[in-house]
Amino acid sequence: MSRQEQILPHGQVLRYTLRERITHWAAGVTYLYLLGTGLAFWSPWLFWLAVALGGTQVSRTLHPWAGLIFFGSVWYMYVMWAPQMTHTDDDRRWWKALKYYSTNQDDKMPPAGRYNAGQKFLFWGFFWANLLLFLSGIFLWAPQYFAWHSLVAMRISVLVHAAAALFTIGLFMIHLYMGLFAERGAFGSVIRGDVSIAFAKRYHPAWYKEIAGEAASPRK
Amino acid sequence: MTNGWIDIKNTDMMLIMGGNPAENHPCGFKWVVEAKRNRNAKLIVVDPRFTRTASVADLFCQIRAGSDIAFLGGLIQYAIENHRVAKDYLLNYTNAAFVVKEGFKLPEDGLYSGFDAATQTYDKTTWNYQEGGDLSGKAARATGDPPGKENKAGGQPAAPPHLPENVAYDLTLQHPNCVFQLLRKQYSRYTPEMVERITGIPKAQFEKIADLFTSVRKDGDMKKVATIIYAVGWTQHTAGTQTIRTAAMLQLLLGNVGRSGGGVNALRGHSNIQGATDMAGIFEILPGYLKVPVPTDTDFKTYLERITPKSSKPHIWDSWNYWSNTPKFAVSFMKAMYGDAATKQSDWAFHYLPKVDRNYSWAYIWDDMYRGNVKGLFAFGMNGVAIGPDSNKNIAALKKADWLVVGEIYPDETSEFWKSPGITQDEMKKIQTTVYRLPCAGFAEKDGTFVNSARWLQWKNAALPPPGDAKLDQEILARIFLKVRELYQKEGGKFPDAILHATWSYTNPQNPALAEVAKEINGKALADLEDPVTKQQVKAGQQLPGYAWLKDDGTTACGNWLYSGSFTEAGNMMARRGTEDPSGLGIYPNWGFSWPANRRVMYNRASCDLQGKPWDLSRKQVWWNEATQKWVGNDVPDFKADSKPKDHMGPFIMNPEGVGRLFVPIGAVADGPFPEHYEPIESPVENPLHPQQSSNPIVKKFKTDADKYGTAKDYNIVCTTYRLTEHYHYWTKNNPMNVQLVPEPFVEVPAELADKMGIRGGEVLKVTSARGVYQAKAMVTKRIKRMMIDGKETFQIGIPIHWGYRGIAEDEGKTWKTAANLLSPTVIDPNAWTPEFKGFLVKLEKA
Amino acid sequence: MSQATLRVQKISGHAGSVPGQDTQREYTVCKLIDTTTCIGCKACEVACMEWNDLPFGETVFDNTYQTMPETRWNYWNLILFNEHERDDGSLMWLMRKNQCMHCGEPGCLAACPADGAIIQYTNGIVDFQQANCIGCGYCITGCPFDIPKMNPKTHRVFKCTLCTDRVSEGLEPACIKSCPTGCLHFGIKDDMKELAESRAKQLRDYSNFPNAGVYDPPGVGGTGVIYVLHDATQPELYGGLPKNPHVPWSVKLWKGPLKWFGNVAMIGGLIGLFVHYLRYGPKAREEEDLATGPRGGRT
Repeated sequence: MSRQEQILPHGQVLRYTLRERITHWAAGVTYLYLLGTGLAFWSPWLFWLAVALGGTQVSRTLHPWAGLIFFGSVWYMYVMWAPQMTHTDDDRRWWKALKYYSTNQDDKMPPAGRYNAGQKFLFWGFFWANLLLFLSGIFLWAPQYFAWHSLVAMRISVLVHAAAALFTIGLFMIHLYMGLFAERGAFGSVIRGDVSIAFAKRYHPAWYKEIAGEAASPRK
Repeated sequence: MTNGWIDIKNTDMMLIMGGNPAENHPCGFKWVVEAKRNRNAKLIVVDPRFTRTASVADLFCQIRAGSDIAFLGGLIQYAIENHRVAKDYLLNYTNAAFVVKEGFKLPEDGLYSGFDAATQTYDKTTWNYQEGGDLSGKAARATGDPPGKENKAGGQPAAPPHLPENVAYDLTLQHPNCVFQLLRKQYSRYTPEMVERITGIPKAQFEKIADLFTSVRKDGDMKKVATIIYAVGWTQHTAGTQTIRTAAMLQLLLGNVGRSGGGVNALRGHSNIQGATDMAGIFEILPGYLKVPVPTDTDFKTYLERITPKSSKPHIWDSWNYWSNTPKFAVSFMKAMYGDAATKQSDWAFHYLPKVDRNYSWAYIWDDMYRGNVKGLFAFGMNGVAIGPDSNKNIAALKKADWLVVGEIYPDETSEFWKSPGITQDEMKKIQTTVYRLPCAGFAEKDGTFVNSARWLQWKNAALPPPGDAKLDQEILARIFLKVRELYQKEGGKFPDAILHATWSYTNPQNPALAEVAKEINGKALADLEDPVTKQQVKAGQQLPGYAWLKDDGTTACGNWLYSGSFTEAGNMMARRGTEDPSGLGIYPNWGFSWPANRRVMYNRASCDLQGKPWDLSRKQVWWNEATQKWVGNDVPDFKADSKPKDHMGPFIMNPEGVGRLFVPIGAVADGPFPEHYEPIESPVENPLHPQQSSNPIVKKFKTDADKYGTAKDYNIVCTTYRLTEHYHYWTKNNPMNVQLVPEPFVEVPAELADKMGIRGGEVLKVTSARGVYQAKAMVTKRIKRMMIDGKETFQIGIPIHWGYRGIAEDEGKTWKTAANLLSPTVIDPNAWTPEFKGFLVKLEKA
Repeated sequence: MSQATLRVQKISGHAGSVPGQDTQREYTVCKLIDTTTCIGCKACEVACMEWNDLPFGETVFDNTYQTMPETRWNYWNLILFNEHERDDGSLMWLMRKNQCMHCGEPGCLAACPADGAIIQYTNGIVDFQQANCIGCGYCITGCPFDIPKMNPKTHRVFKCTLCTDRVSEGLEPACIKSCPTGCLHFGIKDDMKELAESRAKQLRDYSNFPNAGVYDPPGVGGTGVIYVLHDATQPELYGGLPKNPHVPWSVKLWKGPLKWFGNVAMIGGLIGLFVHYLRYGPKAREEEDLATGPRGGRT
């Protein structure tokens, strides 16, 4: 897809392609399920979640399968987005200006590209946590198939799985907050795929400039 | 067992050798543990392997298979030289003081006096006591019978040697030809150094064990008791009987026989082996250990004269000589067998009994079949091919038979001999043996009795009926018998009388109830009887209360005198389950029935001193009651109840001497009055005692082309066979639970040998003897160690016997379908005819 | 699994109180295993299989008398055979009956997230309730003795029940019943402890075992299965019996600090974000975007 095609009629800009959206929601839906069932296993006080999600044994049975889909989705995100997620000088300045961002003074922020530094952090955070969750999860799922099966490895896996999950929960809460509450229009972007030009200019000015500029001058 | 299982709990010292009760008698082993727990008893284990029994021993030492007599002889030597003998017991309750005939020679060169090399037999004339009286202190002068008399006797024919009625004795035990001095001389050669050379047990270790075992007689103490426990690890050698005798002699020397916690205790290998033996499981005895007639027994009188011993003792002593009642047992037996056909007029139907002219023991049956003389075989409750020895020879023998009937609960190696590994389709077609396989009942599907090692007859009920077409053994046998009798009735035949007149008076002749058979064995009165002393009466037709009632005039019938008292008018004594044990000695007088006469410890008179007072008052078995002038006790006294201690009747009432035999005179043992160490037929070394006469001179090798024997040159490793806890003979390989516990056959290999040969655990090994090849995985273990035998590095390996070519693992192709007894040699003990399964030579290779 | 008693004092993965707590006199049952009189006959293994009607499994020869390398989900009772050479060169063949130790403070129960999948009765028996088991295997990580085993097909975990069904009827466990030598005993913990100590003393006084002693590790709150050992200073010789077992640090960390931290972080995060929204609201309303631009910094 060329940059030109991203400029849509009615003042909209295409932010996420269908493939990106499907991937996002594959990850999103499975994550919600994993979160619910995982929390059930995390605390007796939340065990009811497993019951609500179809039963305790069903939860335990499906949790790893959902985990596989989640892992695959996040991995595919990596394939799609990793080049766009490199850390830049702008990102360093963005982090320094974090207090403006968190207090809604976006105009004081350095111009963000398609993803601002926070989003990149979210991406890499999920990416690495996903790897840990996958490895420890696989091991907890079927330890008998590993030659290096040992109790110590299982015990480490229990801790790693829980710790990595906790980390993602932190990321997830911020992601949800940003997407649903803080940035109006962001949610629509992962549903319909587009954002308003205003949204683009406001939150991702460098990105918009790039698209718009390119649309104006087809050389690049 | 002279004693019993439970009685082991009363001991202070245990020597377990030639047996592995923790593995093969785990339930009985509880009493060993009880003794350890409750009495701090010590346990010594001597075995070729470190077994599960050894794992709970206080002392263990590894012995070379087949050298047990050297070890026990060493113990005798140690006990004598260190004065750890029971002096009063020895003097009064054994034949230690008896003086042996001049001319008797000890086997310093490997041979006793009287050997005839041509026939490989002994003339036992000199193996006898000297006639005469008190020779105490007259050693220098008295030289026994004048030499000329011996020659004269030798010059005359006939008159087989017999025991003198009045035996010469020396109560100072100093006479050079008294049994004690001969014993001392015989075993003076069995020094700790010699024991080390023969057995491979280091001298220091041997002395430690000897010191511990004989410590029960330290400083003349008579309170403590030691027991010796053994099983087929002793029996299954060419020196089996003599090994057991050595143990008995050691126990007599230490004064341990007849006493609670003592004795010589054989652990039987199956639940009813004792019963089989009691009921004539071997060719040379009738039920109750009556001897079978031989061709020279022309009539019943001659027969009785031959088999009824006369008492033989110093004239100052008394001897009950209980076998003098043999005529009562024999006549009652004939009445039980032939009923009205056995009368005084018909010479008690003596001519019905077969006269046995030669050896028909196990190995000879197969040898005869191999030679084509035996045409058919009934195989019930045993698996002849797997049992061996030399399974190949047995398979070859069966190929030559016309027919084979196997009664079993599983298809086994014997019934499928015709498709044993190595037989091709073409060969199979040539085998003309007709095999009938009859489905039988398993143990839980039968009632009847088991006689355990402790001589207890215990009745059991059937748990469930046999499945399908399976039949009870007695029904199969009865129907065959009735059919044969019918044929005799119809067609006559050479000698129908013995069959036609045999009693068969069961309610259901086709399927006799075992309770009826048991009643028949117990015996009943055929006329009204009255005890002259107590005036107690037994009416005609009533069950006999015990063998004391048996008569030699035909007024009693009894199938086995030893079992008399087991099924009386009061009912089935064997089914009793009383758990009262007032003495706390584990006697349980109201549990089952213990032959003889419900007595638990045999020879228990010997548990008291000369005055009739127990050696140890904390273990009171029987005692002389001065007030009633009777022997009484917690156990049934094994003695004449009114024989006063001052009469000095010997406690060993079954011997004509009345005392225990350190020296066995004339007929009883074929290969020597004292046991001597002889090498197994296949041995890694020449006998260090007398290399020129290495193995037992009277043991005969079998001579067919199938009988091959190896030498140390070709076969350098000593092999022994054994059983595992997890399996029961050749049956449990058909049971998934047992197969799960131990799934496959294996060979136990010492780690040192494995290192030398580069063998790792789990690798497949090929074990080869002169007779066959066995294949299984290696179990490399430290539990068998390298040995030095007479300066030569020697290794032993062990093979559990439980597999063959039919079973769960075999059928799944998980084994090599070889049976352990493909390796073992056909060679047998000259007294009990038991094959030498426990020590032969093999070589070892990686497969 | 026994329904005979609801006298349960601990329940896994359970929020709230427990029905049986404080309802019974404090008698805990105990199995005493005297390894010094064990002869490795495996009667207990068979009795366990038979009483519990467990299916047969395949085994392979492994250069040992031991039935299989370790217990299985369908094989709860296994005698471990170990050869050990003493300093004087003499050999010992150590046999230890291995099964669930029924810990006072069971690590499996602590690790289990499933409500009611693992319970501890007031008599001390720790029992798995397979109906409630979710098959996560966390109990496996919680056990310092490597006892719970999962059926790979059904994903339920099994182990020795100490025959709760028998015990609740006043019988001894099947293994005890079958033991021929009397090396196994069953009774009240205090009695068993006394018996064990007396045996250990006998071994110290009359046999060549100066270090004989009783294994009842305090690190797991004592065990409902105690051993008499020839050498209590070297329990590892008996097939790796841990010298000082305790609930694994991973379970402690997970159930302790990590849980607290996680809960605080999650709740704190939720509250934080909520307050943030109340304070700052959305970055921009969609309809305002073009017209007004950013509206931050109102305070």
